[in-house]
Amino acid sequence: MGTNEPFVIYPARRVITINPAFPFGDAVAVAGDRILGVGSTDELASWGEHRIDDCFAEHVIMPGFIEAHCHVMSGGLWNSTYVGFFDRRDPQGLLWPGCTSIDDVLERLAKAAADMTDDSQTLLAWGLDPIYFPGERLVASHLDTVTGDRPTLILHASGHLATINSALMDRCGIDETATSPGVARGADGLPNGELHEPAGMMLAGEAFADMMKANRTEQSRWRYASEARNAGHTLLTDLGTTQLWDPDQLSNWKKVTSDPAYPARVMVAMSNLFGGTADPAELAELCVQLKSEQTDKLRFGIVKLILDGSIQGFTARISWPHYYKPPPGHIGNGMWLTAPDQMADLVDPYHRAGLTVHCHCNGDEATEAFVEAVEQVLERCPRWDHRHTVQHCQLTTPDQYRRMAALGMCANIFSNHIYYWGDQHRDVTVGPERAARMDACATALASGVSFSIHSDSPITPLGHLQTAWCAVNRVTASGQVLGPDERIGVPDALRAITIEAARQIKMDGEIGSIEAGKLADFAVLEDDPLAVDPMALRDIGVWGTVLGGVPQPAQISDS
Amino acid sequence: MSTPRLPVTVVGGYLGAGKTTLVNHVLRSSDERIAVIVNDFGEISIDEDLIVAADSDKLTLANGCICCTLADGFAAALMQIRSAGTLPQRLLIEASGVADPTQIAAYGHTPGLRLDAVVVMADAEQVRRQADDRWVADTVRMQLAAADLLVVNKIDLLDDARKADDLCDWLAGLSAGATVVRASRAAVPIDVLLGPRSARDTASARERPAPEGAAAPGWHAVEDLFESQTVVLKAPIGMPVIEALLANLPDAVVRLKGLVQAVPPASESDANARETADATAYLIEAVGKRTSMTPHATDPTQPPPRWAISLISHKGALPPNWLQARLRPDR
Repeated sequence: MGTNEPFVIYPARRVITINPAFPFGDAVAVAGDRILGVGSTDELASWGEHRIDDCFAEHVIMPGFIEAHCHVMSGGLWNSTYVGFFDRRDPQGLLWPGCTSIDDVLERLAKAAADMTDDSQTLLAWGLDPIYFPGERLVASHLDTVTGDRPTLILHASGHLATINSALMDRCGIDETATSPGVARGADGLPNGELHEPAGMMLAGEAFADMMKANRTEQSRWRYASEARNAGHTLLTDLGTTQLWDPDQLSNWKKVTSDPAYPARVMVAMSNLFGGTADPAELAELCVQLKSEQTDKLRFGIVKLILDGSIQGFTARISWPHYYKPPPGHIGNGMWLTAPDQMADLVDPYHRAGLTVHCHCNGDEATEAFVEAVEQVLERCPRWDHRHTVQHCQLTTPDQYRRMAALGMCANIFSNHIYYWGDQHRDVTVGPERAARMDACATALASGVSFSIHSDSPITPLGHLQTAWCAVNRVTASGQVLGPDERIGVPDALRAITIEAARQIKMDGEIGSIEAGKLADFAVLEDDPLAVDPMALRDIGVWGTVLGGVPQPAQISDS
Repeated sequence: MSTPRLPVTVVGGYLGAGKTTLVNHVLRSSDERIAVIVNDFGEISIDEDLIVAADSDKLTLANGCICCTLADGFAAALMQIRSAGTLPQRLLIEASGVADPTQIAAYGHTPGLRLDAVVVMADAEQVRRQADDRWVADTVRMQLAAADLLVVNKIDLLDDARKADDLCDWLAGLSAGATVVRASRAAVPIDVLLGPRSARDTASARERPAPEGAAAPGWHAVEDLFESQTVVLKAPIGMPVIEALLANLPDAVVRLKGLVQAVPPASESDANARETADATAYLIEAVGKRTSMTPHATDPTQPPPRWAISLISHKGALPPNWLQARLRPDR
């Protein structure tokens, strides 16, 4: 080190570096915001004047976890009451037990309503997943029993549906005369409070709009990063939620990330998903410009595109034989959100600008369309090391993985689906055989495709120990193993949540492993992921993180 | 309901079929004040001479209305349009090239709005290939099936008439019930797209002189391919007559629209009971397979609207007094 600046040595129970050339250490030394070195305390002390900090002596230090697919509304939704099926911890560290019955949901809402002081305020809730209540449908008449005259809206986990109570139906003029196909009706032919798709949900007017607006506040950006820190993450992506051409949203990001206390780095993707200036050449230029202005905590350079819908919503594009047991009236396959034959022209300007394109492809037909588009742009404009990434990559086939490897593409696999919807995929959406090979980490590994795994938070809870647990064990919510041959080992899963995630956002030179010279971003764990039973991976406690050399203790409150 | 509901026209169809050309054509040719919403991720491509100002999130059109996107959802778009100063007389929504027009049409059921028609564009040269494409076949067929009015565009690119006839027959089969019209450069007569001019919403009809030939039961050519007939109604008519008219429209009818006073069956046989006080005002419409009868709000402070029914049909397909005969059935 070329200065006399003192540095800090953190002895640990073990340092897992994810650097194959130097896999483990007893301690890590941090100078300023960077890693001076890893090794034994004596080796590190030989660098010069130092201070030894024993605060992590009982902990295991790993590279900070990197979530390469999540969304900023992950923070904003916590302004509303959580009524999802699974346990979930909020950004303040409070555990919200899952609502596993309609009665649980109602009880949660009753409590939330009782806690509200302003009688005119609308009760907003989120995370409802009726797929887990197969017998009975939660409708307005249920809500009315606990919410009374207070207007109430629940956004479903899918984001495609909402359920409102009678008070909100009255306020919005939704009655038996409603003609919109987005207004669901009960057996009696009357609207039952369920609103389908944007055309239906917009009828809930301001209540729905308020919920969406909450995603753009400073507070929601803080909560998003706090939740990440609590789970051991040091970098989050915002994949297509921010409209970067909107000066307000951009300055909002700049403001929060310039606060030294902001507890995560953020990579904000360029996206044309929500209107605005949608000429890809202009957006590419803007992204290159933003990249030149980026800071340590606010990064740019990736682009989010979207081809299809979701598998559980029966809107992903899946090749023949398509869906296994689709709902009555389903048209047979999912929907394109971008025309596949337009894809190459859409990727082209970003590709030429040197950016990395991340495309949402849940179904294998969508993967095919994206891989073909990348083949076409590479023919037009050969470019090495582009790292264009198939996002979600849930039904990508072995031949597609081989093509992706040949093209230099990466995969970001939605492993959490195995746990959260694996039973439904086996029994309803794609059937046993294809469910067994979905989210195919072992195939990606065998094909030589660099892959990461993700939560898509808020779709499933943020937390890479849980996500790694899914990829390693492939256990569904009902406790069955789905596709044992696609399980991967813990070491590969740990690479997927660190260095491989860094690689597909082109930050693997700075973060993703613990090596001299890299940024001092660590996940500080209570136990050793390489030593515990793989089924206990997700139960490992998280002390917090170190971000750019600064310890960031997690907030956990179980009161 | 105090004001007539705003009619909504949805324009769908696969990429390259001519949706944007059609939107520009409508803006250029119609004398209605039309606001436009686009849901495509692509840029808004309204012709420059139709735009007077451009903001980051909207365009101000020469007709005083705006063109905006669904970026923040339909409610926000509607709010933008309503706060733009000039209130529109119609809303035109251009769907994206892969969208299901039926889903976009669902916005037409928002309170205060009224779905007028789903117009789907097809590229005469490309549509057969697209309807068998390995990836988009189902998308294209879904779009065609959603049409009330199916515009076979770029028909001039087909080199012989039989090919065009075959294509139109085949498309009619895919869009069961839709009215199929042919066009080049999306130049569909505006009355075919938006409804017969003489019977369009009173709000717009009142503000300009009735077009020539529409003031009395009559007959005039809309364009080369179509002709129209209008019957002015001097008294309320029986509900069964209207229902029978709508239920038995021949394929030759491209569009029908009317503002009528209807009396219920009980009083129909008694001519003395046909008084305005007992009658209910309805807007009646037919386009393709869609027929509707919507209660129509009348404003007592304004002069009464002009009660009339107009239809547009393929040229030469109906006798000139066809509509008149239907409304005065012999009994």
